Amino acid sequence: MEKIFAGWLGLGVSEQSSFLIKSAIFLFVCGTTLFVALGASYPAVHDTLHNARHALAVVPCH
Amino acid sequence: MSLSQFAKAALLVAAGLLFAAGARAQDLEIRFKTTPQIEHLRPYADPATMSLLIAGSDGRPVRQGTVHIRLDAPRSGRFFSTDFPWVEGSRLQEMRLDLSQGRANWKYLFPIRGQYRLGVDVETRDGKKASKEFTFRIREREEKWAILAGFSVALVCLGFVAGRIFTRVPAAAIALALGLCLASDGFTANEKASDGDDAALEIEPPTVGTPALLHWHAPVAATGEGSPEALSLSIVHLEKGKTAFELERIPIVGDFSMKFEFTDGAEYRVSALGEQAGKPPRRSEKIISATALEPPTRAMIPAFAYFIGLIVLGLGAGRWSKRGRVRGRA
Repeated sequence: MEKIFAGWLGLGVSEQSSFLIKSAIFLFVCGTTLFVALGASYPAVHDTLHNARHALAVVPCH
Repeated sequence: MSLSQFAKAALLVAAGLLFAAGARAQDLEIRFKTTPQIEHLRPYADPATMSLLIAGSDGRPVRQGTVHIRLDAPRSGRFFSTDFPWVEGSRLQEMRLDLSQGRANWKYLFPIRGQYRLGVDVETRDGKKASKEFTFRIREREEKWAILAGFSVALVCLGFVAGRIFTRVPAAAIALALGLCLASDGFTANEKASDGDDAALEIEPPTVGTPALLHWHAPVAATGEGSPEALSLSIVHLEKGKTAFELERIPIVGDFSMKFEFTDGAEYRVSALGEQAGKPPRRSEKIISATALEPPTRAMIPAFAYFIGLIVLGLGAGRWSKRGRVRGRA
């Protein structure tokens, strides 16, 4: 079904390319989440995760 | 006198001067120790009692003199930053203390791991001078490394699972639009009001990464008398409930100044107690808030590169494991 749908939309790609695209999107989402959780200075996020940041030893805080 | 004779004479004089200076410095012995011992100290764990003992060539403590102390924070690491990047390589303390029985003691809470440098210049009342630099390494708390290891394993596992899932379905690319917008307008805290009910204590508005001047002065009536006053000074990190710095009953005539870096962007209580014989003690207290600074990008990049690298590693491992199994079945 997925193959048919992808073919119909003209999105048919090789398995390797599919893996790379999915991985890139996944890494982008993970990177964004990590940055927000461990690097953002937005007070609400910072204050909530302040101790977690310090607990990781290599994540810079203020 | 020929030129060569003059040069020889100048060399002899210079060598003599150098020898005299060295011998003079060797008259004083500077010893430094911490309690608990350095290998047991950890950042933001418990304050260490720092002790300097200045002894003469006969081994006896120097009776009177002053010691100029400078404490510098460890420099930045080769790859990873510590959790307080602004503190790295900065001057943490600079103060001048009078020796009491050849000793100078104070308490200090070390903020980060790494190699600290303690510079000591001693000058006795009879004019003898000596200098020495001590270096010592504070190790990171073991539980932090354990947490980092656990987090790293979790990221590899996340990538591994994702790698397996992505490998199973060789189909179309799915367009995923993400609109994550982050408004980071900094969180530098302003200095909060201080309850300066007694003007004996003055503190420069502190910012993390820069030493602030801390000044305590005796009352106008007492300054002219020349009698020493015992000053006790303490700086307490309110959020952690730990003493960051402490001096106990050091003899002061007149004023006392020191440079002190507030290493965390948090609230501190600075208390001073001046005691003079026959007079009621004078207590001053201030609550100050050290201004925090956003971590520099150069300190953040290695940590995030490491975390993303772990996920990539997991993705690769997951894909490899899936394809290996499929090949095995074939």
